[in-house]
Amino acid sequence: MLMIEAQELTKRYGSTVAIDRLSFQVRPGRVTGLLGPNGAGKSTTIRMVLGLDTPTRGRALVGGRPYRSLPHPLRDVGALLDAAAVHGGMRAVQHLSWLAASNKLPRARVGEVLGLTGLDAAAGRRIRGFSLGMRQRLGIAAALLGDPPILIFDEPVNGLDPEGIAWIRGLIQALAAEGRTILVSSHLMSEMALTADHLLIIGQGRLLADAGIHELVGPAEGATLEDAYFRLTRDAVEYRGTEVNR
Amino acid sequence: MTAVLHAEWIKLRSLRSTYLTMLCAIALGTGLGFLDTISIAHHWATMSAADRAAFDPVGDSFTGLVFAQLAFGLLGVLAISSEYGTGMIRSTLTAIPRRGAVFTAKALVVGAVALVLGEVFAFGTFLLGQATLATAHLDVALTSPGVLRAVSSAGLYLGVVALVGCGVGALLRHTAGGIAVMFGVIFLAWPVARALESWSYLPDKLVLSNAADVLGQVHALAVKPRLPSLGLAYLDLLLYLVVALGLGAWRSNRDF
Repeated sequence: MLMIEAQELTKRYGSTVAIDRLSFQVRPGRVTGLLGPNGAGKSTTIRMVLGLDTPTRGRALVGGRPYRSLPHPLRDVGALLDAAAVHGGMRAVQHLSWLAASNKLPRARVGEVLGLTGLDAAAGRRIRGFSLGMRQRLGIAAALLGDPPILIFDEPVNGLDPEGIAWIRGLIQALAAEGRTILVSSHLMSEMALTADHLLIIGQGRLLADAGIHELVGPAEGATLEDAYFRLTRDAVEYRGTEVNR
Repeated sequence: MTAVLHAEWIKLRSLRSTYLTMLCAIALGTGLGFLDTISIAHHWATMSAADRAAFDPVGDSFTGLVFAQLAFGLLGVLAISSEYGTGMIRSTLTAIPRRGAVFTAKALVVGAVALVLGEVFAFGTFLLGQATLATAHLDVALTSPGVLRAVSSAGLYLGVVALVGCGVGALLRHTAGGIAVMFGVIFLAWPVARALESWSYLPDKLVLSNAADVLGQVHALAVKPRLPSLGLAYLDLLLYLVVALGLGAWRSNRDF
């Protein structure tokens, strides 16, 4: 099964517990959203799934195996990390070329993903001069390079203009419709309501909800994901401003 | 492993800093050696006996090595620290989760490139220096005793410095810090060792730049008791390599 799986995943930094016995499964063929307030542990969770951080206890599996044991991980899992995981001095095509070489992917894939993400014209430019939106597109091109059955997008709409946001939403849904396993993290409620089929909500490193989006929002007239989210994360928000009375 | 090596080769080739550091190394290194040999050839007739005795036809064409080595060290530091500085390391480790393989491939690629360029630099500088010295009939041939050893060792030394830079870059994961440490290792260790001379010559013998001096010369070595012997100079290179690469490998396997 091509699932992303967390089993009692725990991460401690000194005495701070960032992730607390988190267990979940992300299934193929649908978009699963990873939702939570700032500091809830979304990025830490993704980093442990990708083998970038070592869990204190528990484990994360992709397709039944720990990420670090995959011989050619880009063929199994594509990941859009934050847009800064590139060297600004490189040209877009060079960045994708070394990634392709590292996983023995055919050179032709570089051109294909550049076309797919609309970066053909910028292929020969140094990444330093890219807008945030172009960097996101380059990150998506990198994620798609190995044509992987599992895809992870960390905050994919950051810095994108409305056209870019609509594009990425369509892309993510199309990838899920092809039967791929998709995990998308975000803290943008409205975007999640539009993109995700299933939601994992975490707060202070613990799993608060693991349910379909309709199940979460409920049948009530005018009920929104936002209401459901605030209800769930009420006690799990670390930083909150005081309410403004008008 | 070939895939990882290929990826690291593309990275190194893609970065402008690679070309800039190597250009600086070769321009400064060759230029200074050239100027020094011109000066010697020009003033030989009026030089004192002591200065003449200190003259080394090979060593004096390597005057610019002092600067070249900093650039080679920088090449090694940057190859690793720039990945952490820019965040590219996250892409690297998702593509190649075997961290030991990443560090090994980087060291091999940087080491090989630095060794080849170091030898090109050493032989180029030597030939240019001899052409200048020939005007005063002070030149030696590559076939003279010890000359081939000295010239090729100067190139080897530059390869070693680049690898020490790799280790330092991996250990600190920070460009400015890495450069500072390389500056210390290359330039500041020498006066420190000099200051300790009244107690022992051992620190002198372990200073990397003293080893470089010994390796890049053909005579007048035994005169100075503070310099390492030729054998010890090679051992020094090995020692620095093992310590720097060992520390770099150790740190590479830790989360960031």
